[in-house]
Amino acid sequence: MKHSLLLFFTFLVSIAATAQVHPVTGRVTDDAGTPLQFVSVIEKGTPNGTSTDVNGDYKISVKPGAILVFSSVSHGTSEINVNGRNAISIVLSSSAAKLSDVIVVAYGTQKRATVTSSQVSVSTEDFKGQAVTRLDQALQGRASGVQVTNTTGAPGGDVRIRIRGANSVSGNNDPLYVIDGFVGGDFNVINPDDVEDIEILKDAAATAPYGSRGSNGVVIITTKKGSRGKTQLSLTSRLSSSKIMKTYDKLNAGDYAETVNAYDAAVGINPYFTADQINGFKTNGGTDWQKEIYQTAIGQQYELGIDGGSDKTTYHISGSYQNLPGIIRNSFYKFYNIRSNINTQLSDKFSTYINFNGFIRNNTNTFLVAGQANPVAQSIAWSPTVPVYDENGYHHLVKSDPIGSVGFNPIAEITERLAKTNSYNANIMGGLLYKIIPDLSLNVQYGVDYAASEYKNFGDLNVSPEGGYTSRSTGTSIGLQNTNTLNYRHTFNENHHLDLTAVLEVQKGTWEGFNVGINHLIYPSFMWNNLSLGTAQQPGSGTTQSSMVSLFGRVTYSFKDKYLFSGTIRRDASSVFRDKNKAGYFPSLSLGWLMSKEKFVEDLNIFTLLKLRGSWGLTGNQAVGAYSTYATYKSATATYTDNSNVPAIEIDRSENPDLKWETTEQKNIGLDMQFNAIGLRASVDYFNKDTRDLLFWVGLPMFTGGGGIEKNIGEVTNKGWEISLGATPFNTRNFSWKTDFNYSVVNNKIVKLTGEGDIFDDPDIGWGMTSQPEFVLREGASMGSFWGYKYLGTWKPKDQAEAALYNAVPGDSRYADLDGDKAIGKNDLTIIGNGLPRYTAGWNNTFTYKGIELNIFIQGVFGFDKLNFLYGAAMANGGDFRQAMLTDIKNRYIPGVNETSDIPAFSGTTANYIQSSRFVSKGDFIRFKNVSLAYTLPRSILKNIASIKFFASVMNLFTITHYKGMDPESANTGSGSDAAQNIDYGAYPVPRTFTGGITLTF
Amino acid sequence: MAMKNKYYFLLIWLISLSGCKKFLQEDPQGILVGDIALSNENGLEAQLAGAYSPLMQAWSSGFASSAQIGLSMGGDDVTTHPVSNKEDFRQFDQLAVTPADARADEVWSGCYKSIQSANNIISNYEKVTGDQDHIKEIAGEAFFLRGMCYYYLVRWWGKIPLVTSANFDPSMLEMNSSEITDVYKLIEDDLKKAEEMVGDVKLAPGRINKGTVKAYLADVYLTESGWPVKDASKAALAAQKAKEVMDNKATYGFDLYQGDFNKIFAGGTPEDVFALHTDHVAISNVYYGMSGMPGDEGGWDDYFAEINFFNDFPAGNRKDGTFLTSVNDGALQWQNFATKHPYYRKFRIQSADSINYASNSPIIMMRYANVLLVYAEAEARSVGPDASAYDAINAVRVRAGLNPLTPGLSADDFIKAVLDERGWEFAAEWTRWFDMVRTETVAEVLSHRSPNENVKLLGDPGDKKNWLFPIPGTDKSKSPNL
Repeated sequence: MKHSLLLFFTFLVSIAATAQVHPVTGRVTDDAGTPLQFVSVIEKGTPNGTSTDVNGDYKISVKPGAILVFSSVSHGTSEINVNGRNAISIVLSSSAAKLSDVIVVAYGTQKRATVTSSQVSVSTEDFKGQAVTRLDQALQGRASGVQVTNTTGAPGGDVRIRIRGANSVSGNNDPLYVIDGFVGGDFNVINPDDVEDIEILKDAAATAPYGSRGSNGVVIITTKKGSRGKTQLSLTSRLSSSKIMKTYDKLNAGDYAETVNAYDAAVGINPYFTADQINGFKTNGGTDWQKEIYQTAIGQQYELGIDGGSDKTTYHISGSYQNLPGIIRNSFYKFYNIRSNINTQLSDKFSTYINFNGFIRNNTNTFLVAGQANPVAQSIAWSPTVPVYDENGYHHLVKSDPIGSVGFNPIAEITERLAKTNSYNANIMGGLLYKIIPDLSLNVQYGVDYAASEYKNFGDLNVSPEGGYTSRSTGTSIGLQNTNTLNYRHTFNENHHLDLTAVLEVQKGTWEGFNVGINHLIYPSFMWNNLSLGTAQQPGSGTTQSSMVSLFGRVTYSFKDKYLFSGTIRRDASSVFRDKNKAGYFPSLSLGWLMSKEKFVEDLNIFTLLKLRGSWGLTGNQAVGAYSTYATYKSATATYTDNSNVPAIEIDRSENPDLKWETTEQKNIGLDMQFNAIGLRASVDYFNKDTRDLLFWVGLPMFTGGGGIEKNIGEVTNKGWEISLGATPFNTRNFSWKTDFNYSVVNNKIVKLTGEGDIFDDPDIGWGMTSQPEFVLREGASMGSFWGYKYLGTWKPKDQAEAALYNAVPGDSRYADLDGDKAIGKNDLTIIGNGLPRYTAGWNNTFTYKGIELNIFIQGVFGFDKLNFLYGAAMANGGDFRQAMLTDIKNRYIPGVNETSDIPAFSGTTANYIQSSRFVSKGDFIRFKNVSLAYTLPRSILKNIASIKFFASVMNLFTITHYKGMDPESANTGSGSDAAQNIDYGAYPVPRTFTGGITLTF
Repeated sequence: MAMKNKYYFLLIWLISLSGCKKFLQEDPQGILVGDIALSNENGLEAQLAGAYSPLMQAWSSGFASSAQIGLSMGGDDVTTHPVSNKEDFRQFDQLAVTPADARADEVWSGCYKSIQSANNIISNYEKVTGDQDHIKEIAGEAFFLRGMCYYYLVRWWGKIPLVTSANFDPSMLEMNSSEITDVYKLIEDDLKKAEEMVGDVKLAPGRINKGTVKAYLADVYLTESGWPVKDASKAALAAQKAKEVMDNKATYGFDLYQGDFNKIFAGGTPEDVFALHTDHVAISNVYYGMSGMPGDEGGWDDYFAEINFFNDFPAGNRKDGTFLTSVNDGALQWQNFATKHPYYRKFRIQSADSINYASNSPIIMMRYANVLLVYAEAEARSVGPDASAYDAINAVRVRAGLNPLTPGLSADDFIKAVLDERGWEFAAEWTRWFDMVRTETVAEVLSHRSPNENVKLLGDPGDKKNWLFPIPGTDKSKSPNL
């Protein structure tokens, strides 16, 4: 309501009067009615100004047509047209900076109505009622053009966030995070409860200010600043329970034993099980390995926040603790965080602030490798006929299942291995704001980011052929940043608004790491705590340094707040490139037309806002690490005796002195609309991103010594649409319904690859079952294309003669013989699917009835495939699997019994490729991501407590999908790469989580 | 005025920063860049370790896993599981190898990575200052490793790219494969250089001496006398080189080991002409142990013996040491194993923890018995089966618990006897397939396979194109001219 009031003032008060100077008085207060001191009150376009006193009162003499600018460090800026009045009191909300008029943009703020770039705001209001434990959950599905994927279901695990698709093939497509001005921050370290505002910058006009790091979009996060007056303390406690959503349908022990014997008979080896054994298994059912490895995970979270301030100083101090076990036994995540944001007004001209954020994260067994050491895969690979423990209570047959998996016992995998990552981070951002003259300000910021991570790894004797192993490694990085922003704002002749910004920014990053490992442990119980008691492997260490110097300038001009223009240019000079390629220039231009201010639109009486905007710009992506242009060696080890080893060196990377930035040219056209009726609002954007000089680690042929070379290889485009619609169909005193929907389409295409034609990308997820690269980059195709054989079903009896040409019999697998050479070979490999999603949708609904708030949030991701290696291995004996494990195998082709099935028969002549279209399926899904209910007790029954709120929510309530795997969202390809994604080989499944909690505010 | 001063301050600060060019220069620390790597003797030694290292990276490159046994499965001595997860092994046994075979990639990439490191030493050793004798030894070993790697490559793949430079050049992507004779020429040249440069004593058990080089040279010459080079004149050279080793066996520390036959495979006997050593800490041997054990005792069934090969194998201590015919203290005989085949005892881990898939077992590349049998065959091919040829084969036979060979055999019969002896002596030691190919007896030998073998031939054993493997697909797609 308060915001609407402000808007009311801003929009409806108009018409200038006489030219006489007259006094204006009033009081400035915050949301809670607390007076705000030191708010500067300036007559716009003049040096005339004052500030509020201890009671929030001010007095100023102005011309009747003047505009008063109220601005406060903590509470943003608001402009009011005086319109001849003598008394103007206003409320400056702490979120006024966003909700009223002004939004945060790159290196500054701007009036929302005059913004000409494509930028979306996500407010804390959008997710405050939900069990959001990390910032990615706040972004998921809530902004058009933003794709958030949980590539793992492990607590505190990896997440892939993409803004307008993926430009870079060589890896990093993560957006750039700017946290309170620190460029290149880590969103993981932010407690969502500390967040004031999130701005998502999408088009080049919005991101070009970040130059060589702007290609992937930018997320600007502003944390809370506290408010003057009464101290407010809030405490939130949550309890959650997570469970696996879906498991595979595995054969029970009796069916399994029969299947194994059928298989042995078909391929001519001795049957493994006797009839007695089979009957025994039928009665006792065997081991359910999946049940053995999963658990119901009970998690706890506590958050404490204190906000307050004196006349000159405000503070926001908070702490949080999370203890979240994972649904796989012995995996968990702990998070400790403390933040202190302090702002002080030193004088009329100077103010200063310092934000400190520190956290500790502890991930234990949350990272799952693909294949052999993966408990999810091994829980499928192990025979149900093998008991978990032997008669001595020991993990049975740890090293290998006699006929099933060649990997370790899955329970041993999770109980006898320990992989812990402790991450420590401290981010300190301090600054001095100096108002040189009312229109000219200087902001000098310094930032220090310290991030250390420590990785400890242990494997007990049973899961290590080397008599146990353990290792420790640490990595420490320090980032330093200095940003100096000079801003000049002035209105000439009332109609010409000019805003000039100049920035000088210097950054430097240093990384150091070392690692030591031992095996043949004398005392395994010591784990990594005494590395002298074992046999040492070659230790390792390393360091890198990189630095960047940037200059940035921006001109924003608007005429009558109707015709809008903005132009920017940034020059980045980076240490990672050589000579003439060191510096890059990244310009942008944007234009806007606020049509709703035109008479002919006003006359329609339909729109409250109608804005057409267009932009063009260049941004970059470094996408390579330090020293990438040099030929380098890597360290290796050789042994000349049976009890010692010697250090070795091998050539690793070839030189490429011509390496340069990846550059993205982006064009955008958008239309923003707000209607009179039911608060209807809509935005439509069309964008075209063209990324050139793609950086890629090109693997060299093995015969040249292998390794690779960092190269600029080609061009990728991402074109698409984004639509967001919002409305408040009901808004009565007791009941309201607010709904927001967004939908995005991104079409990715590799336009050009220089040189050698197809480029293969081999993350080697399916080690041992995929001898060919798993992904291909091909001109005309989209990134993320799976490479493999095209499966045509089984050879049927009528095709017997043709099958014989392929050394196959009816019932064997049949693959497309693309080169027609009557053999399935390398030339028959083709693109068999694509893991890059094309469409994303989000639908958020909030219903309120009196104190009850219900939020339903649905997310959809469409237009992508998944290559399910786990299903493939379990059906066709790939990798560690030596038997078929899933109930689907019962529907296989059986000569004389079932000759229509496309699941191949057990046969000595069939060749089953896991890397084939047989195991590719659509990954499309719609997921009820969040359903939450909150109830705030009526104020009337509370005494010493400001508010009490109860809430309960379910994340991932249910999922609609045709995908056969456990979870369409998670994958083993990780969040890092886009050229390689959506291979599932025992990914940590995303769980269903119930959360209940309470927030007390004093 | 105060304000002006501040502007000046800012301006000065701006200038001082942008003037600082050094701020943007890279100065890599702790990373080997360019020529520094081989600037001294120790760097050269580390690069030589980098030539050995790729030969023993289990499941990734070289000879430390069962890949090399897989590549030799075309022989009648080894086969694999008919289905299970053994597709990549089976292709060799079936004589139908595809360019997609991952086991082939393992050996191919290991040899070529070793060649790259050797090339780097060969191109740079003359510039390195330090103990010249040591440098010469290192360079000699590099020449040997390059020659040896090409020798394996040319026998398995035939026409291959001949790379003699360590540094990548884009023109390499346009390379053609070289003629087989050109590859052998390089192998001979390299081994001859190594012969001059390498000393009489191994600097470590896992390295080589002059005798090792001569033994390989003898083996190369003998191979060249057969298919595909078919230069009969090479047999005499083979006999001569083998004899040089035999005559100086004390100098080189080589001899036939007369203890328990099975102990040879634990390594460290005088039998080792060349053995890569593993420490089971940084480097492990993973083809000993579970890889070659029957599933009935928890093994992986990667490779095991062919039935008729086992049946025809002459009884004696060598047969007992070579094969595993029962488990559970004899309770389960090989006929009742799931796969109905005997297994190889020689690759069992001989330390306390025998049921494991990794160990510090040696990777024996060549044994002294090979020198003797190369001599016997080469002598018979060049001069005839004289007394020295008989002495050489009989030394091996007597140790195996067999009677000396019948005297007075014709040259052909004698050679046939040597080839049989080689098959038995080196069963599963990846020599049988090479012998069958060079003597052009693939079809004849394989015609004796048992009808009970579950893995059937798909490729025609008489078709010579099935005797060589296709260039690995991943390389061919990057370098289409190969």
